[in-house]
Amino acid sequence: MSSRSVSPGGALLRSSRMFSLPKPIPAIKNEHAAGSLFHSTTSTLPAPTHQVVTTLSAPRRQGDWGLKRPLPLKSTTKTTNPMLRVRAIDSSEHITDYVSAADHGITLRKFQELGLPMTVRRACGREARETSTTGPILTKASDLPQRSVFEDQYDTTDIPADKRAETVDNRWRFEGPWLAGMAQGSFIKWLAKEVRPKRAEFRQFLKKKLAHEQHAAAAKYAIDKALPAPEPIDASAITEDQLVDYLRELRNNNQALYEMVGQFLDLAPLNPPTLVETGMSGNKIMTLKYTEAKSPYADTGPPITHPSAGLSYLRTSMYMANHPVYGPQKEHIAAPARVVRPRRQGRGMRISIGVAGFIANTSIGDMGNARGTSPGMYDTIDPELPGGVKLWVCPTRATMDASGTIAITVKDSSPEAATVARELLGEADCLSAREAQATRKPESSKEIRQRYRAAPGPQAMSSARDYGLQE
Amino acid sequence: MSTSRQWLSAAARQCRSALTTQQRTQLAQQPPLSRALSTTPSLSAFRDSQNNTYSNTNTNRLAGSTPTTFTNPNAALQDLASSGLNRSGPLTPEERRRVIEEQVGTSGHIRDLAINTTTDNYLRQNQRRWRVGDVYTPRDIGKAEMKKWGKMRAPLEDVVEVLGFNPVDNYKNFSLISDFMTPMGRIKHSSETGLRPVNQRKMAKAIRRAIGMGLHPSVHRHPEILRIKQRGISAMVPIAPTENRL
Repeated sequence: MSSRSVSPGGALLRSSRMFSLPKPIPAIKNEHAAGSLFHSTTSTLPAPTHQVVTTLSAPRRQGDWGLKRPLPLKSTTKTTNPMLRVRAIDSSEHITDYVSAADHGITLRKFQELGLPMTVRRACGREARETSTTGPILTKASDLPQRSVFEDQYDTTDIPADKRAETVDNRWRFEGPWLAGMAQGSFIKWLAKEVRPKRAEFRQFLKKKLAHEQHAAAAKYAIDKALPAPEPIDASAITEDQLVDYLRELRNNNQALYEMVGQFLDLAPLNPPTLVETGMSGNKIMTLKYTEAKSPYADTGPPITHPSAGLSYLRTSMYMANHPVYGPQKEHIAAPARVVRPRRQGRGMRISIGVAGFIANTSIGDMGNARGTSPGMYDTIDPELPGGVKLWVCPTRATMDASGTIAITVKDSSPEAATVARELLGEADCLSAREAQATRKPESSKEIRQRYRAAPGPQAMSSARDYGLQE
Repeated sequence: MSTSRQWLSAAARQCRSALTTQQRTQLAQQPPLSRALSTTPSLSAFRDSQNNTYSNTNTNRLAGSTPTTFTNPNAALQDLASSGLNRSGPLTPEERRRVIEEQVGTSGHIRDLAINTTTDNYLRQNQRRWRVGDVYTPRDIGKAEMKKWGKMRAPLEDVVEVLGFNPVDNYKNFSLISDFMTPMGRIKHSSETGLRPVNQRKMAKAIRRAIGMGLHPSVHRHPEILRIKQRGISAMVPIAPTENRL
């Protein structure tokens, strides 16, 4: 409707790239590195902030990127991956400020080559909860089938305000913060800025809750005694004395108070602390009441943006990879990984393995890992090896952190999967497929036609011979 | 220690003289009897075995390492040692490495040590501590970018703001006070600490107060911190006051 009121020239401008470039999003703030003395301001960010702009090859040769002015050919034509991020369409110096965006553009491509769906982050530190000492040991959370971030159970965004409390376990976006992830400084600021001005509002909220509770109690009593249903109680009917009594009651019930505060401020769900984490004495802990949060974000905090991060729109990885010659494969196709930094066991530093441009979350090279015993691979840098040590891994799942970084979990790929993947690249031979291909003489179309015409029985358009298994 | 160093330097000098006299290649082609009877493998054998262990352990490795051929200076070394030649002069690191490899690098332990040294040397240029989820490009693992991670800079954020405490209230916390002082007892500049002016003034006041009250030395680190540094993390366990000495 609105487009009708716009003039033709205006519509043209609106649909142009110059006007449709979105505002950059804020860069990921790394709380861990806040006090770090070692950092670089020019390193690649863990997530992109600007949209990547590209153009076709013909307009690129003319410098046409759909922006206000043509871009210099010298810096935009000599590249295999024409991707730019435009920092300013027009600066005060009358120039278009742009840099290459190949870093995140190629990373996205590499990630999509992995064929991984983004999954809801499962509990990582609390896997012991799913193992029982009495009964049979259940599967670890990391081994359970992962849930996609696009499932309705976790991906509900259009929620009316009065339904917010009910859907707390199905949401990923919350108005309030995740308290466990806040540093002390920001917590104090948040208290002063956001919470304290809402005191009167909170009392009103409590009055409403109290009125609702009183009405529920009265209604239950009426049903028990077969009396007519009572009138609903209005929040204004609650006196200050009643509210103060209710507040005193709440103060002695930590779980009820937390639920009230959490509903009022729409806090992100939080798992109760372990006994050690509370740091309280035994008899004080005895008085505490807890209910376990069911949200997948209760342990690590809700994501800052949609948990798919726009990286993958796949729903599941529960499919079987098929190879044209070898048939269905047990594992998905293996991915090459790079040892970005070897482990230093003496200093307790773990190995850093990079997959598709992301530093992966892996147990490869750990003490418990079976292949962690080959020290040459994980412990050393071999300067004679071009490109450094690489290995084949099997990516199992990808999740987004509360801060917005992507954690790809990888495990060691089986030797067979690695060989198949290497063969696809032309680096290895399985079942001497290449030799078979070399000895087979190319057939002309006439020969193929004759062969099928002469074939007895049902005509098969594909056979083992086509795949190079026979002859 | 000193004797081994003398022995190494003598061997190194011999090796250097061997390299300078260009007898190496001729003698390497005709190894003397002592070489043939020696139980220690030659350098090239060591190289080959090293490559073998790599490829055996790493079945999944993408690219095999290319074996390099080194001529063997051992024969020349032994010959020259017997002839008693002894020239002086500094050694290049490459020569020193070869000498160490040749003389003592035959046992597995020493070989591991040499590989570890190489790795340590390269890791010194690769200072970044990667976190899960970091995105890297070829530029990030390159030299120019890695140099930046090896240099100490002021934190990007004000630590006092992030942690939300008042420095003046913490004048008794000698660990905190020490962090904002140089080893020579001077208050660090805000360009090093990364604090905003208000917090820098408060921190400076806390330091002056701690020194003025005699809670913190004004010339060097706190003795407790020195003790922890010396004895490791186990020293953080509180000990009896009678044992509280360096």
